[in-house]
Amino acid sequence: MGPNPDPPRATFEQELLAAIEAVHRFAVHLTRDPTRAEDLVQETYLRALAHRDQYQPGTNCRAWLFTICRNAFLKGARHSDREIATGDASLEALAAAGIHAGMAGSDPQGAVFERPELADAIRVALEKLPEEFRTTVVLVDLEDQSYAEAARVMGVPVGTVRSRLFRARRMLQEDLLAYAEDLGLLAPQEDMN
Amino acid sequence: MLSCREVIEQLWDYLDGELPAERMEQIAEHLAECGRCYPQYQFEFKFLEALARQPQTAPRPPRELVERLQRLVSVG
Repeated sequence: MGPNPDPPRATFEQELLAAIEAVHRFAVHLTRDPTRAEDLVQETYLRALAHRDQYQPGTNCRAWLFTICRNAFLKGARHSDREIATGDASLEALAAAGIHAGMAGSDPQGAVFERPELADAIRVALEKLPEEFRTTVVLVDLEDQSYAEAARVMGVPVGTVRSRLFRARRMLQEDLLAYAEDLGLLAPQEDMN
Repeated sequence: MLSCREVIEQLWDYLDGELPAERMEQIAEHLAECGRCYPQYQFEFKFLEALARQPQTAPRPPRELVERLQRLVSVG
Protein backbone atom coordinates (compact mmCIF):
# COMPACT_ATOMS: atom_id res chain seq x y z
CA MET A 1 0.00 0.00 0.00
CA GLY A 2 1.42 3.37 -0.99
CA PRO A 3 1.67 6.46 1.16
CA ASN A 4 -1.51 8.28 2.05
CA PRO A 5 -2.35 10.96 -0.47
CA ASP A 6 -2.15 14.55 0.76
CA PRO A 7 -5.37 15.62 2.45
CA PRO A 8 -7.57 17.62 0.13
CA ARG A 9 -6.59 21.23 0.21
CA ALA A 10 -9.23 23.73 1.24
CA THR A 11 -10.68 25.48 -1.75
CA PHE A 12 -9.99 29.14 -2.31
CA GLU A 13 -13.56 29.94 -1.26
CA GLN A 14 -13.24 27.90 1.95
CA GLU A 15 -10.02 29.69 2.83
CA LEU A 16 -11.64 33.08 2.25
CA LEU A 17 -14.59 32.21 4.46
CA ALA A 18 -12.41 30.79 7.22
CA ALA A 19 -10.48 34.06 7.39
CA ILE A 20 -13.42 36.42 7.87
CA GLU A 21 -12.99 36.82 11.62
CA ALA A 22 -9.24 37.39 11.40
CA VAL A 23 -9.57 39.91 8.57
CA HIS A 24 -12.33 41.70 10.49
CA ARG A 25 -10.15 41.91 13.62
CA PHE A 26 -7.29 43.23 11.52
CA ALA A 27 -9.54 45.83 9.89
CA VAL A 28 -10.84 46.98 13.28
CA HIS A 29 -7.26 47.51 14.43
CA LEU A 30 -6.39 49.41 11.28
CA THR A 31 -9.41 51.70 11.17
CA ARG A 32 -10.22 51.89 14.90
CA ASP A 33 -13.80 52.29 13.72
CA PRO A 34 -16.26 49.35 13.48
CA THR A 35 -18.25 50.84 10.58
CA ARG A 36 -15.17 51.64 8.52
CA ALA A 37 -13.83 48.20 9.38
CA GLU A 38 -16.89 46.53 7.84
CA ASP A 39 -16.48 48.52 4.62
CA LEU A 40 -12.79 47.68 4.55
CA VAL A 41 -13.44 43.95 5.01
CA GLN A 42 -15.95 43.97 2.18
CA GLU A 43 -13.54 45.84 -0.08
CA THR A 44 -10.80 43.36 0.85
CA TYR A 45 -12.97 40.44 -0.21
CA LEU A 46 -14.04 42.13 -3.43
CA ARG A 47 -10.39 42.75 -4.33
CA ALA A 48 -9.42 39.21 -3.34
CA LEU A 49 -12.08 37.75 -5.60
CA ALA A 50 -11.12 40.06 -8.45
CA HIS A 51 -7.46 39.02 -8.13
CA ARG A 52 -7.90 35.37 -7.21
CA ASP A 53 -5.43 34.42 -9.94
CA GLN A 54 -2.69 36.07 -7.85
CA TYR A 55 -3.27 33.75 -4.90
CA GLN A 56 -1.09 30.69 -4.79
CA PRO A 57 -2.97 27.73 -3.29
CA GLY A 58 -1.29 26.29 -0.25
CA THR A 59 0.29 29.59 0.80
CA ASN A 60 -0.82 31.70 3.76
CA CYS A 61 -4.26 32.93 2.70
CA ARG A 62 -4.73 35.05 5.81
CA ALA A 63 -1.45 36.90 5.16
CA TRP A 64 -2.52 37.47 1.54
CA LEU A 65 -5.84 38.93 2.74
CA PHE A 66 -4.07 41.06 5.37
CA THR A 67 -1.90 42.49 2.57
CA ILE A 68 -4.93 43.37 0.47
CA CYS A 69 -6.71 44.80 3.50
CA ARG A 70 -3.83 47.04 4.48
CA ASN A 71 -3.24 48.24 0.94
CA ALA A 72 -6.93 49.12 0.66
CA PHE A 73 -6.77 50.90 4.01
CA LEU A 74 -3.70 52.91 3.06
CA LYS A 75 -5.21 53.84 -0.28
CA GLY A 76 -8.30 55.16 1.49
CA ALA A 77 -6.57 56.86 4.38
CA ARG A 78 -4.26 59.76 3.92
CA HIS A 79 -1.15 57.91 4.88
CA SER A 80 1.18 60.12 6.80
CA ASP A 81 4.54 60.66 5.15
CA ARG A 82 5.95 61.43 8.52
CA GLU A 83 7.01 58.07 9.81
CA ILE A 84 8.41 57.78 13.27
CA ALA A 85 12.05 56.86 13.07
CA THR A 86 12.59 53.20 13.83
CA GLY A 87 15.43 52.51 16.17
CA ASP A 88 17.94 49.74 16.17
CA ALA A 89 16.32 46.44 17.19
CA SER A 90 19.14 45.46 19.53
CA LEU A 91 18.85 48.76 21.35
CA GLU A 92 15.12 48.24 21.68
CA ALA A 93 15.75 44.79 23.17
CA LEU A 94 18.10 46.34 25.70
CA ALA A 95 15.56 49.07 26.45
CA ALA A 96 13.05 46.32 27.22
CA ALA A 97 15.58 44.95 29.69
CA GLY A 98 15.60 48.42 31.26
CA ILE A 99 11.84 48.26 31.74
CA HIS A 100 12.18 44.87 33.33
CA ALA A 101 14.96 46.10 35.62
CA GLY A 102 12.58 48.82 36.84
CA MET A 103 10.12 46.09 37.83
CA ALA A 104 12.64 44.20 39.94
CA GLY A 105 11.15 45.34 43.22
CA SER A 106 7.48 44.97 42.37
CA ASP A 107 6.75 42.34 39.73
CA PRO A 108 9.84 40.81 38.14
CA GLN A 109 7.92 37.89 36.62
CA GLY A 110 5.19 39.96 34.96
CA ALA A 111 2.24 38.60 36.96
CA VAL A 112 0.48 41.90 36.31
CA PHE A 113 0.00 40.91 32.66
CA GLU A 114 -2.30 38.12 33.81
CA ARG A 115 -4.69 40.57 35.48
CA PRO A 116 -8.04 40.71 33.66
CA GLU A 117 -8.19 44.47 34.33
CA LEU A 118 -5.46 44.91 31.72
CA ALA A 119 -7.40 43.42 28.78
CA ASP A 120 -9.17 46.67 27.89
CA ALA A 121 -6.03 48.66 28.60
CA ILE A 122 -4.13 46.58 26.04
CA ARG A 123 -6.75 47.37 23.40
CA VAL A 124 -6.56 51.09 24.20
CA ALA A 125 -2.76 51.07 24.25
CA LEU A 126 -2.72 49.32 20.86
CA GLU A 127 -5.04 51.93 19.39
CA LYS A 128 -2.68 54.69 20.49
CA LEU A 129 0.26 53.26 18.56
CA PRO A 130 1.09 54.83 15.18
CA GLU A 131 -0.28 52.70 12.32
CA GLU A 132 3.02 51.07 11.27
CA PHE A 133 3.72 49.94 14.81
CA ARG A 134 0.15 48.87 15.52
CA THR A 135 -0.05 46.80 12.35
CA THR A 136 3.24 45.09 13.12
CA VAL A 137 2.15 44.06 16.62
CA VAL A 138 -1.27 42.95 15.41
CA LEU A 139 0.23 40.77 12.68
CA VAL A 140 2.95 39.13 14.77
CA ASP A 141 1.60 39.09 18.32
CA LEU A 142 -2.16 38.85 17.80
CA GLU A 143 -2.44 37.07 14.46
CA ASP A 144 0.63 34.85 14.83
CA GLN A 145 2.33 35.77 11.57
CA SER A 146 6.10 35.32 11.24
CA TYR A 147 8.44 38.29 10.77
CA ALA A 148 8.78 37.32 7.08
CA GLU A 149 5.02 37.15 6.58
CA ALA A 150 4.49 40.49 8.32
CA ALA A 151 7.23 41.98 6.14
CA ARG A 152 5.45 40.77 3.01
CA VAL A 153 2.11 42.16 4.21
CA MET A 154 3.63 45.59 4.83
CA GLY A 155 6.08 45.57 1.93
CA VAL A 156 9.10 46.31 4.12
CA PRO A 157 12.31 44.42 4.96
CA VAL A 158 12.26 41.88 7.81
CA GLY A 159 14.67 44.10 9.76
CA THR A 160 12.11 46.90 9.71
CA VAL A 161 9.44 44.56 11.07
CA ARG A 162 11.78 43.52 13.85
CA SER A 163 12.63 47.10 14.82
CA ARG A 164 9.02 48.26 14.69
CA LEU A 165 7.87 45.24 16.66
CA PHE A 166 10.37 45.67 19.46
CA ARG A 167 9.74 49.41 19.64
CA ALA A 168 5.98 48.86 19.71
CA ARG A 169 6.27 46.26 22.46
CA ARG A 170 8.32 48.65 24.54
CA MET A 171 5.77 51.44 24.05
CA LEU A 172 2.96 49.06 25.01
CA GLN A 173 4.78 47.87 28.12
CA GLU A 174 5.46 51.41 29.27
CA ASP A 175 1.83 52.35 28.75
CA LEU A 176 0.44 49.23 30.45
CA LEU A 177 2.76 49.35 33.43
CA ALA A 178 1.93 53.02 34.01
CA TYR A 179 -1.76 52.13 33.83
CA ALA A 180 -1.31 49.22 36.25
CA GLU A 181 0.51 51.55 38.61
CA ASP A 182 -2.36 54.06 38.46
CA LEU A 183 -4.80 51.26 39.30
CA GLY A 184 -2.68 50.30 42.27
CA LEU A 185 -1.85 46.91 40.77
CA LEU A 186 1.86 47.71 40.98
CA ALA A 187 4.09 49.59 43.32
CA PRO A 188 5.52 52.71 41.64
CA GLN A 189 8.37 51.71 39.36
CA GLU A 190 11.90 52.82 39.49
CA ASP A 191 13.03 55.03 36.63
CA MET A 192 12.62 52.94 33.48
CA ASN A 193 15.27 54.71 31.42
CA MET B 1 27.98 29.82 26.77
CA LEU B 2 26.31 32.98 25.59
CA SER B 3 26.64 36.14 27.64
CA CYS B 4 23.59 37.67 29.33
CA ARG B 5 23.79 40.64 26.96
CA GLU B 6 23.69 38.36 23.90
CA VAL B 7 20.68 36.56 25.33
CA ILE B 8 18.81 39.75 26.20
CA GLU B 9 19.49 41.19 22.74
CA GLN B 10 17.89 38.14 21.16
CA LEU B 11 15.22 37.41 23.74
CA TRP B 12 12.34 38.71 21.61
CA ASP B 13 13.57 36.74 18.58
CA TYR B 14 13.80 33.68 20.81
CA LEU B 15 10.27 34.14 22.16
CA ASP B 16 9.02 34.58 18.60
CA GLY B 17 10.78 31.40 17.45
CA GLU B 18 12.66 33.37 14.82
CA LEU B 19 16.21 32.14 15.46
CA PRO B 20 18.07 29.20 13.92
CA ALA B 21 17.60 25.93 15.85
CA GLU B 22 21.13 25.95 17.24
CA ARG B 23 20.77 29.46 18.65
CA MET B 24 17.35 28.60 20.08
CA GLU B 25 18.97 25.72 21.98
CA GLN B 26 21.85 27.89 23.22
CA ILE B 27 19.45 30.47 24.59
CA ALA B 28 17.25 27.82 26.18
CA GLU B 29 20.32 26.39 27.92
CA HIS B 30 21.36 29.83 29.15
CA LEU B 31 17.88 30.62 30.46
CA ALA B 32 17.74 27.31 32.32
CA GLU B 33 20.86 28.25 34.26
CA CYS B 34 20.74 32.03 34.56
CA GLY B 35 18.95 33.59 37.51
CA ARG B 36 19.28 37.06 35.95
CA CYS B 37 17.85 36.36 32.51
CA TYR B 38 15.14 33.86 33.38
CA PRO B 39 12.88 36.34 35.24
CA GLN B 40 13.02 38.67 32.26
CA TYR B 41 12.11 35.78 29.97
CA GLN B 42 9.09 35.07 32.19
CA PHE B 43 8.13 38.74 32.24
CA GLU B 44 8.24 39.07 28.43
CA PHE B 45 6.52 35.71 27.97
CA LYS B 46 3.57 36.80 30.13
CA PHE B 47 3.39 40.11 28.28
CA LEU B 48 3.23 38.31 24.91
CA GLU B 49 0.62 35.89 26.28
CA ALA B 50 -1.54 38.85 27.30
CA LEU B 51 -1.27 40.27 23.77
CA ALA B 52 -2.08 36.89 22.23
CA ARG B 53 -5.30 36.75 24.29
CA GLN B 54 -6.56 39.95 22.65
CA PRO B 55 -8.24 38.29 19.64
CA GLN B 56 -10.49 36.39 22.06
CA THR B 57 -11.89 39.69 23.33
CA ALA B 58 -12.16 41.34 19.90
CA PRO B 59 -15.62 42.11 18.51
CA ARG B 60 -16.94 39.42 16.19
CA PRO B 61 -17.88 40.48 12.66
CA PRO B 62 -21.57 41.37 12.49
CA ARG B 63 -23.79 38.60 11.16
CA GLU B 64 -24.94 40.71 8.19
CA LEU B 65 -21.34 41.27 7.13
CA VAL B 66 -20.56 37.56 7.31
CA GLU B 67 -23.66 36.72 5.27
CA ARG B 68 -22.81 39.41 2.70
CA LEU B 69 -19.30 37.99 2.33
CA GLN B 70 -20.61 34.44 2.07
CA ARG B 71 -22.86 35.53 -0.79
CA LEU B 72 -20.00 37.39 -2.46
CA VAL B 73 -17.67 34.41 -2.23
CA SER B 74 -20.30 32.00 -3.49
CA VAL B 75 -20.87 34.01 -6.65
CA GLY B 76 -17.27 35.22 -7.00
